[in-house]
Amino acid sequence: MTDADDGVTRVLPALAGFGRELRAAGLPVGTGQVLSFCQGLAHLDPTDLRDIYWSGRACLVSRHDDLAAYDNAFAHYFLGDAGPRHLVPSDGSPPVDAHQARPDALAPATGSERRPDAESVGQSASEVELLRDKDFADCDPDELAAIGRLMAGLVIATPKRKTRRTERSRKGVRPDLRRALRTQVRRGGADLRIPRRRARVRARPLVLLLDVSGSMSSYSRALLQFAYAVARGPSRVEVFCFGTRLTRVSGALARRDPDEALRRAAETVVDWQGGTRIGESMREYLRTWAWRGGFRGGVVVVCSDGLERGDPDVLAAAMARLSRLAHRVIWVNPLKAGPEYAPATRGMRAALPHVDLLVSGHNLANLAGLGAVLEALD
Amino acid sequence: MSVQRLPHHPRPRVGETAVLAGLSKTDVVSTAERMPARPQSVEELSTRLGEQAYLADRGLGTAIFLSLSLGQPLLLEGEAGVGKTEVAKSLAAALGAELVRLQCYEGIDAHQALYEWDYTRQLLYIRLLQEGRELREDAADEIFGPRFLVERPLLQAVRAGDRAVLLIDEIDRADDEFEAFLLEMLSDFQVTVPELGTIRAERPPAVVLTSNRTRELHDALKRRCLYHWIDYPSLDREVEILAARAPTVPADLARRVAAAVDRIRTLDLVKAPGVAETIEWAKALAFLGATRLERDAVDVTLGTVVKDHDDLVRIRDDLGRILADD
Repeated sequence: MTDADDGVTRVLPALAGFGRELRAAGLPVGTGQVLSFCQGLAHLDPTDLRDIYWSGRACLVSRHDDLAAYDNAFAHYFLGDAGPRHLVPSDGSPPVDAHQARPDALAPATGSERRPDAESVGQSASEVELLRDKDFADCDPDELAAIGRLMAGLVIATPKRKTRRTERSRKGVRPDLRRALRTQVRRGGADLRIPRRRARVRARPLVLLLDVSGSMSSYSRALLQFAYAVARGPSRVEVFCFGTRLTRVSGALARRDPDEALRRAAETVVDWQGGTRIGESMREYLRTWAWRGGFRGGVVVVCSDGLERGDPDVLAAAMARLSRLAHRVIWVNPLKAGPEYAPATRGMRAALPHVDLLVSGHNLANLAGLGAVLEALD
Repeated sequence: MSVQRLPHHPRPRVGETAVLAGLSKTDVVSTAERMPARPQSVEELSTRLGEQAYLADRGLGTAIFLSLSLGQPLLLEGEAGVGKTEVAKSLAAALGAELVRLQCYEGIDAHQALYEWDYTRQLLYIRLLQEGRELREDAADEIFGPRFLVERPLLQAVRAGDRAVLLIDEIDRADDEFEAFLLEMLSDFQVTVPELGTIRAERPPAVVLTSNRTRELHDALKRRCLYHWIDYPSLDREVEILAARAPTVPADLARRVAAAVDRIRTLDLVKAPGVAETIEWAKALAFLGATRLERDAVDVTLGTVVKDHDDLVRIRDDLGRILADD
């Protein structure tokens, strides 16, 4: 092991430098991780780039999404102009052939080919996508005041579901044997009451899918504020915007300052006021997000006018699957003005059989209205 | 649910019972038992995993090797069915160690992972004591003694030390609080049972965590772990896996099956088939006596490889292309 230790000592500055390179590339690399990396190489061959590549990947990366950035940084640092000379052993052994080091490593991942990415979905859209940021933070003072009110008082909760955990309760059905034992021991077996527990309840997650295409953006903006308010309540909220492609804006909304949150969300969405491909966007949501455990059994609110420019069959299939995964699907349609509304658009007709509740756009004027709808769900 | 007996703890003398059995006592588990030495290189490890019919590529081999050498847990992520759980099983077999598995689920808590007192039996025992003889003074120690302790996976793993491989399966299903608890557990590998004392692993077990990425894990936990993403294997690798895992399948059929699955994965499916599905499919076809991907045989066995109705419809539509060379 001493040979290897020597090797590591010699390349140590280079290895530590790689850690800095990764940090510069935006990867959250901790000192402990760099330490593991160096220690790990002491067990391997620190002059073999393959060992460096793989041990670095195991020690310094902790998210799948960071792998591409890691590969880039690795290529730049060790294989670029600045790289390999750090690693040529000074004892005259042959330098490592850099490009052989990662034949299998940097080949395109088969898994990623499977999913058509947002880019290609966007390009195939029939409408020309309007790639411009709309300054979403320009809420008028009334809107901001509304947010303020919502945050101050309104706590909107989604329906509850039972969890596997239990809590003490008089009316519970499960006997609490642990507590019973303690009581028995304390009271010498004289106490015949059996304490009980019942399943705890937890608010279901709420998923908002907001149409930000031309006709819908002002409604969606109101809903985004709504999402911001709900996120302050007990329920977990995920927010996605779609036009020609799907964007997750939950991360951007997780800011304290409503101004900042809405501005960030607006920056995240790239296709404000483009066309609408509801079906494709739903599918994207189902494929990328819905199967993840946290969304199952949630309440899904879709806000769209149903003016689908894609294939309505795709939308119908996606909605069918969505309704199977979700607890309740609510469709908010601003075109539904009164009770006599009949769904006229193809998209709406395709989606309707799989929607639990169709809500008119009127309710949007008053955000608390939708809150009431949510709370009234069973 | 079986109660495993712990080695007998010296029972405190009567005068000491006020302080239930020594809190400060540390039960260090000895690991003197003979077991094969840990592998000294990535190649050796890969060979030994290969003997267990698990083919690890260089990246995975390096990650496992480092995890063993540095004593850090290994976090495996990847699509369902790429063989994450299998890594731990094969590793345990390759090291001649016992596999201790903790399956996580929503709402799992420390008691279900560490230990639990067998309350029902304790209650019965108290009854017996009351009916039979006078209540002995040390009854409390007996009731909260090893006899009534139900060991759960984490305690088992700590007691087994490096004679065990601890598999913490689908950690993403557990809640964040449990994650925090695990973090603590994984850093010092000791369990304190207030009534019995502290049990510590002298040499920690190898730990493998798997996650299906249904949610992001906490950064602190990830930083403690080595990380490896398992991808779907390449076509050639999958043929090798079939040869290792389903030796009864003719080589020619195996290649055709792997090629077909490879094409199926390029379709836009709700759930792309994993390696496990490939193996099942090949076995099913071989069992039916198929030598190539005949349409009839494929039609009746398709359910082993694709398990979603929409996907089945999708593939049946496209069957001609998927079975291109047959």
